[in-house]
Amino acid sequence: MTKDPDGKIEALLADIWQRNLPILRERLDLLDRTAAKASAGTLDEASRLEALSISHKLAGNLGMFGHHQAAESASEIEHILKSPSPETLAHFPAIAAQLRQTLASSL
Amino acid sequence: MRSVLIIDDEDDIREVAALSLEATAGWNILTASSGAQGIEIAAAQQPDAILMDVMMPGVDGPTTFGHMQQNPSVAHIPVLLLTAKVQGVDQRRFAGLGFAGILFKPFDPLTLAQQISDVLGWKD
Repeated sequence: MTKDPDGKIEALLADIWQRNLPILRERLDLLDRTAAKASAGTLDEASRLEALSISHKLAGNLGMFGHHQAAESASEIEHILKSPSPETLAHFPAIAAQLRQTLASSL
Repeated sequence: MRSVLIIDDEDDIREVAALSLEATAGWNILTASSGAQGIEIAAAQQPDAILMDVMMPGVDGPTTFGHMQQNPSVAHIPVLLLTAKVQGVDQRRFAGLGFAGILFKPFDPLTLAQQISDVLGWKD
């Protein structure tokens, strides 16, 4: 099996990343909105489940493109939303902001 | 030439995994976006292995695997579970279901083929 001596895989990954940016931006926006609801104490179950699914997907996807820190932030959000408590939800907005900031130069 | 079927509802996961396995190992890659579609393709194309996501809308990976085990046309094909979950409780739950192996997302596109080969004992 070969590695990527000519950078072909890296170039194709960059292309896939660019094509999926609109979906990624929508997902980050959704997490921001959900974090705002959590911060305001108005997080409903449907929003929690949707954001849980999105954070799970991001935790699995971002690392493939080398964004390991962002994947870790998404994983932290997933853990918070899986079994939320007032204490853990309080961290959600900051982690969502950190996730967006980590990806800022690639968006 | 080896052939591998990737079942995942996420477009970018399917695309990156297919790219990775084709480019690094030269395998023939088939893809499906749902468990039901995956079973159809597996029955028709008889891949050497299946790489399947856990969390999919509708029928999830473990349930799809259960359907495969009851289908003689695909039951013999080794299935590797691809999951972002890393908690011990999930690993123990999946370990008892009969999967050929469990791989974790995020995966490294440069080493995914080697990971699959190692789990399945493929030497070529």
